Amino acid sequence: MDVFFQQLVNAIVLGATYGLVALGYTMVYGIVQLINFAHGEIYMLGGFGALTTYLALPSGTPAGISLPLMLVGGIAVSVTAAVIMERFAYRPLRSAPRLAPLITAIGVSVFLQELVRNFYPHARSARNFPQLVNPDYQIRLGSNVQISAPQLLTVTVALVGMVTLSTFVRRSRTGRAMQATAQDPDTARLMGIDTDRIIVTAFVLGAALAALAGVSSGLQFGQVDFHMGFITGVKAFTAAVLGGIGNISGAVLGGFILGLVEVMATQYAPDPFSGGAWKDAWSFVVLIIVLVFRPTGLLGERVAARA
Amino acid sequence: MTSQTIPEARVRSAPDLGVLLTGAGALLLVGSALLPWAGYAGFPGKMTLSGYPGGARLYVLLLALPALALLRPLPGRAAALRAAANVELAVVALTVYFVAYAGGGFVNVGGGVYPAMIGAILYLVGSRRLPTSEAVAEGVALPDASWRFPVESLVVAGTAGLALWLFVIGLGMPSSSIASGSDLTLGPLSINDVANSGQFLAYVITIAGVALVAGRLGLLKSLTIMTGRHPKLFVAAGFIAAAAFPFTQNGSGESLSIAARIGVFAAAAVGLNIVVGLAGLLDLGYIAFFGVGAYFGALVSGSVTSVTGVHLPFALTIVLGGLVSGIFGLLLGAPTLRLRGDYLAIVTLGFGEIFRITVNNLDGSAGPSLTNGPNGVSNIPDLALGSFNFGANHTLFGIDLSFQSNYYWLELLLLAFVMTSFLRLSESRIGRAWVAIREDELAAAATGINTTRLKLLAFALGATLAGAAGTVNAHVVKVAAPDSFTFIESATLLAAIILGGMGTVPGALLGATVLYLLPEKLRFLHDLRLLVFGIALVLIMRFRPEGLVASKRRAREFHDHETDPAAEAVA
Repeated sequence: MDVFFQQLVNAIVLGATYGLVALGYTMVYGIVQLINFAHGEIYMLGGFGALTTYLALPSGTPAGISLPLMLVGGIAVSVTAAVIMERFAYRPLRSAPRLAPLITAIGVSVFLQELVRNFYPHARSARNFPQLVNPDYQIRLGSNVQISAPQLLTVTVALVGMVTLSTFVRRSRTGRAMQATAQDPDTARLMGIDTDRIIVTAFVLGAALAALAGVSSGLQFGQVDFHMGFITGVKAFTAAVLGGIGNISGAVLGGFILGLVEVMATQYAPDPFSGGAWKDAWSFVVLIIVLVFRPTGLLGERVAARA
Repeated sequence: MTSQTIPEARVRSAPDLGVLLTGAGALLLVGSALLPWAGYAGFPGKMTLSGYPGGARLYVLLLALPALALLRPLPGRAAALRAAANVELAVVALTVYFVAYAGGGFVNVGGGVYPAMIGAILYLVGSRRLPTSEAVAEGVALPDASWRFPVESLVVAGTAGLALWLFVIGLGMPSSSIASGSDLTLGPLSINDVANSGQFLAYVITIAGVALVAGRLGLLKSLTIMTGRHPKLFVAAGFIAAAAFPFTQNGSGESLSIAARIGVFAAAAVGLNIVVGLAGLLDLGYIAFFGVGAYFGALVSGSVTSVTGVHLPFALTIVLGGLVSGIFGLLLGAPTLRLRGDYLAIVTLGFGEIFRITVNNLDGSAGPSLTNGPNGVSNIPDLALGSFNFGANHTLFGIDLSFQSNYYWLELLLLAFVMTSFLRLSESRIGRAWVAIREDELAAAATGINTTRLKLLAFALGATLAGAAGTVNAHVVKVAAPDSFTFIESATLLAAIILGGMGTVPGALLGATVLYLLPEKLRFLHDLRLLVFGIALVLIMRFRPEGLVASKRRAREFHDHETDPAAEAVA
């Protein structure tokens, strides 16, 4: 049973990362119906932005100062990239058929990966990420169940991010304008909402959350990699679809479910198909199964009718 | 250009500044083409010789020729010369850059470079000042006379031949000693790589420029009228010209093997065009169906690395490979095609990843032993039909043919089959229904189209064609390995049909050729190839989303809002 609970902890940590990234997909999709394929790269850029910040700080800076600065640096890089991307790649295509922006998104994704791979110093293979939060520091939750400090940080950061976002969307004026734009952009514009600004806001919020995920995964695994955005991006999108795309709580739920499936399948799947080699395959199998029985995702309802 | 509306009469009486500048620029360019451009040997095209306009200087000369149109005010003249001048400047700048780069500095360029640069600038400035008229060049139809048929046939067949000939020249251009198909792990570049890349780029730009000029002068429209009257002749001429290609290679196989790879890539692109271009279903994991066929073909090829030990006849392999892949298409499509387009995109992407992970793991340790994991099924033996061995060189009509020509013809047959399927389908009742579904699924369903069944048909047919192409390809490249079936391959295929023009066969062919050939030839880009690929995707979507060869309907769909202010106000 200890193994199960330990895996449950791991699943929650993994799910928190997926959920954070999935929020960016779901917000953008909810408002402009665009699969922002390059969102995984925004997550990756967050990790590299934090690494750059760390390298720019004088060595010996205490972790209590450098860690917040790294988060800010990561968020700044991700948000800048997302805003530029929205302005120059997606906005000109707003009235084009839906295939066009999706292909642009694939192009942006390839471009950002290659940009980092070619021009970030020594980024052709994974770069070491500073281990500011000691991974050997374990907190016991049961006799044989523990959570490491970076894992705890990931979950904390994710929860804070999710709660902040949810409060922002529900309570603030801009948040309510986002909801209105998602429901009916034309009417929202008639009510005096600057929809262009709302769309940028969705990109900015998504990028900030993705950057948090990028930094915390750097802390957890001790490295960042130009390629890390692809598979996480695809998984996070899967999580968003699982939960019902366009639905903010759905993205978080989908993230945790996907994390659970992946970790538990790695542990408990029938023999030849368990283990790390198969975990990605299991996530997609679950996605296909969920879509067959619940085509609009777990919490998605009106999305299908709006096509 | 609105300020340049000079009355026609005045233009004819006194040549204006624009005509003079353009003419002077063209003369300088012609002169420069006869002077040496390089102060050192080694740049392709004999750039050190004077009086011999070879290589890039030939392109410079060619692009100066439209200036002859200055002698007569043809319709579309100004537009054609503007295009020629743009392209001319690009070719001159590019060539000067590469000559200087490969020669170790600007000091090593030859005397012809200076008049060329001045001429190109004059040409550009002058062409901008040419009087424009409202007249747009129209296509000319030949009068109905007894000589019309032979002349038209000659032109049509000649066009097909010319296109193939240009392709063959491009293919045959030296790409130095780097083996084709090798990947990003290239060593440092030699001067030759740079110089060859430069010349190839100039060649491609020149061809595009000549096509542009011909279009502005109405020549392409005339050609379309003629080919439209003899479509079968056009296709037959193209096919015969393509089939004759191996006879021009003097027994060498290098260009043939590249051409064969382009052929299979194009076949897959045409297959994907059914799914995406006709039925509008976004498939992001198409390469997986190709992979299913490739692995099936490899496993029943009798290869020593195949665990099955089965050796089926090749004809049966193709059919079964297609069927197996089609069944996968049905299995995946049946539950998911009822979903909206975006869900389908992610599910196909997921399937692509599942496929890659699975074949990577079925190596006996992480899973059941079937595919040898990352190493793949290799050493696929050469095909043999009866006593004809595909792996041996042959002599036909006294001409030596390397063994690659056998595989080239095989790919050509495959391509012809896939193209025929596409064309027959797109003109059938089914094809029209697909287009209706693509345009508006709800309206299509309301007119009585069984949308789910037809979408499933498109999906499964696309998968079947990909599977068949995959079995053939496995025998051509002699290996089926997981690396060849990654997401980037699916994205490249998709990019090929989008670049070329969605829903058209020439578009898919052109897109596949460009996307396969450019990275193969542009070695100087080295590691930046994918970066350029990403930027190119973004730019194409921004400026020409309907592709290079657009079907009329699609072009309208993409540019409607630009011409129709009412539509923009609504959107």
